[in-house]
Amino acid sequence: MNKYKTVTAELPKVPTTFGHRLKRFLKRNWGGWAIMIPSLVLFAFFIWVPLIENISYSFYEIKRFERQSFVGFENYARVFNDPAFGKAVVNTFLYALWSIVIGFLLPLFLGLLLSETVHFKSLFRIGLYIPNIISGMAVVLMWTNILDGSNGSMINGFLSLFGAEPVTVLSNPKWVIPVIVLVMTWRGAGGTVLIYLSALQTVDSTLYEVAKLDGAGVFRRIWNVTLPSIRPTIKLLFLLQIISVFQVFYEPMVMTVGGPDNASISLMYLCYRYTFIDHDPGAGAAVGVMLAIIIGALSIVYFALNRSTKQ
Amino acid sequence: MKKLFVRIGDRISSAWRKRTPFKNCLRNKSEGIITGMEYKKWPYKLLYVGILLVLCAAVLTAVIPVLWLFLAGFKDAQDVFKAPFTFWPKSINLGKVVEVWKVVGFGKYFLNTLILVIGSVVCAVFFNGLLAYAVSIVKPCGHKVVYGLIMASYMIPAVASLVPLYANINKLGLTGYATFVPLCLLYGANSYYFMMIKNYFDTIPEALIESARIDGAGNMRIFFSMVLPLSRPIIGVVSIFAMTAAWADFLLPYLLLQDQELYTAMVVIYNLNSIMGNMSDFGIDKYLIAVAITILPQIALFAIFQRQIMGTGAKSGIKG
Repeated sequence: MNKYKTVTAELPKVPTTFGHRLKRFLKRNWGGWAIMIPSLVLFAFFIWVPLIENISYSFYEIKRFERQSFVGFENYARVFNDPAFGKAVVNTFLYALWSIVIGFLLPLFLGLLLSETVHFKSLFRIGLYIPNIISGMAVVLMWTNILDGSNGSMINGFLSLFGAEPVTVLSNPKWVIPVIVLVMTWRGAGGTVLIYLSALQTVDSTLYEVAKLDGAGVFRRIWNVTLPSIRPTIKLLFLLQIISVFQVFYEPMVMTVGGPDNASISLMYLCYRYTFIDHDPGAGAAVGVMLAIIIGALSIVYFALNRSTKQ
Repeated sequence: MKKLFVRIGDRISSAWRKRTPFKNCLRNKSEGIITGMEYKKWPYKLLYVGILLVLCAAVLTAVIPVLWLFLAGFKDAQDVFKAPFTFWPKSINLGKVVEVWKVVGFGKYFLNTLILVIGSVVCAVFFNGLLAYAVSIVKPCGHKVVYGLIMASYMIPAVASLVPLYANINKLGLTGYATFVPLCLLYGANSYYFMMIKNYFDTIPEALIESARIDGAGNMRIFFSMVLPLSRPIIGVVSIFAMTAAWADFLLPYLLLQDQELYTAMVVIYNLNSIMGNMSDFGIDKYLIAVAITILPQIALFAIFQRQIMGTGAKSGIKG
């Protein structure tokens, strides 16, 4: 008796004509595309299309948010001739400068200190993070009242402890930008400290031992071991800081309405003001395009850095 | 209820007993820039005290303004900015909070915000999750192009293209609660959430997906009964992020919600002066209480999800 049955089967021939290949390609991929399409429609509607359309809007005369007629660079010319734009560009650099001095260095410093403590560590972390959880609008409204110019406001109460005269910082063109950056830092520092903290934890502690054996003091150790070890993180956060500064918006909008005399106006707020207050969306779109180009260029640098970090 | 309190009490007391004694903490410190050995010398001890003091000052700076906001509202209207500055109100009358809640009509506005928050969370998880699933696991032809496009627009904020965005949404001609639909759907197109979810999906072993596929599960089946349950942590984090972001969302709701009936909490506190304009007795004290009321849910959210918010906030910031 034959124990084994011989089965002869032929492998199905795979047709290789173009039509069949196309069919196979579609069959393999349509499922994936079907999943992607709803989300892609959203991305297109909310991000990609507006980004492209913005460029076209900036070259048109716009009435009631409809493109009327092509006007070339007229919108841009109007923006460039507006003294407020020059002011906004200068201010943006001032914002950037101050946020490097305050907003960038302070969290790094606090992160270093926090990574060294062993007592109350989580208490400090949570305490520093608390401003982060409050919405930007509430923060701005709160600080507007704290920085109120009257003699009994919290800022002046604090200053009087040192015998200083009452100040009205928000209506002082010299002080308004540093103060706004301070408020931004107050809100954002906690989150940045946490990022530094997790980077500092990865620093190889044998390096410190070696540095100590070589007789390096605390500051030498920080300068020659700690900072080089977390340099990628520092670079990234530096760029993120700059990118976020270009988007300053709520603070000028609520705290100062861009004032006093455009002293605190930012590009983003200018874009908003052209569009919704001056009813000149063409100019708003032109500012938006410039803003997108600047931020786009900065984020290309960011990604280049990020890639080199991962390797 | 009583049992719960007893259990919490036990937890705290056992944690207290198990803690490392204060002194040894510092002496046993083996990592970091300064190590335990050095802390035996007094200049280092002094330095450590200095560090603690600076951090205390920083935490106080972070917390005191918020505390002021919560306390100043309990003063009388004319006392809020009265010199000399005082921190504590004469009395804390919680009835005032209830009064402000009623006068402003926060119930309705909070409900509106809740609708926005829930819609946003659902959209953020569902649409970004599906897209991440397609790009990371299903990988149909062309998924790299999609990924590239998302990355290209990663950093550029939607507000930079405010004019066409506003125009396009306006063209839809939505009225009433339908206006919330685009506001929620906006969270479905968020490259940051997408990246977080995608990075997590990338870590799911391919063999697992393959085995499900061999068992005959379709793409959607795999997504809902396998990928989603496996990625509960990241779904949670994205939900929390979307929750806080939607609660704080201001600009687009402010521009799009024309009807006062539809205002969200943030739009209300920005417009509070005009909403309450005809009420002469709505002073600065009640104004501050109103702002404080809108912060409360965020603090509650943080108290509940503190670990998730602080944990991944720190990590995903760099991942990018």
